[in-house]
Amino acid sequence: MSITVLAFAQSQDLFGFSSRAVPSEPGDTPRSLLLRLRPEADLGSFRIAVDGEFAEWDTRLDGAGELAIIPPVSGG
Amino acid sequence: MWIEIHFTAEPIVVPPQSLPSREIGAVVEFQGLVRELENGAALDGLFYEAYEAMARRVMGRHFEALAAELPCAAVLFIHRTGWVPVGEASLFIRVQSAHRGEALEFLGKAINLLKQDVPIWKRLTRPESA
Repeated sequence: MSITVLAFAQSQDLFGFSSRAVPSEPGDTPRSLLLRLRPEADLGSFRIAVDGEFAEWDTRLDGAGELAIIPPVSGG
Repeated sequence: MWIEIHFTAEPIVVPPQSLPSREIGAVVEFQGLVRELENGAALDGLFYEAYEAMARRVMGRHFEALAAELPCAAVLFIHRTGWVPVGEASLFIRVQSAHRGEALEFLGKAINLLKQDVPIWKRLTRPESA
């Protein structure tokens, strides 16, 4: 299984991509998957969205197609 | 309530007004412009990006919740993406209602909610990939 990871704004600089298909493992959560990509990443200021809805960091990703990293927003 | 949410990479053109009914007595419009000074630094513009599918959903829910509290007939929301030069609009919102009080309050609260959790970002510089 793989999941599409979207990185916006400053999270692009941290992860080095805006969109990437990433292999996921059974039991993965947003936290475990992103820390596997960047073990040193400080995720503290980010929120997470799974399939376009805000989610918790430790929600299991079972079957999800898209994981988005949401830095503090600044629209307007 | 009639809700329209658009994103555009082109300069925002204020759409001609159409009235959803003859009961509209107030039309409130807001344009947010890019200013030269941001936190004391002089800029040429700002770069905006959005997670559009999610932003439409989150903003749409905010509009629906506001409409339950403040009955308005229609809202049109346009947010620009990409590079926006100083002096040009990054945001346009038009609210139509029977009375001015609801429309003015709806607009103010909608902008606050936009800045709370709608996945849109501005950056001081263009990303290298843009």
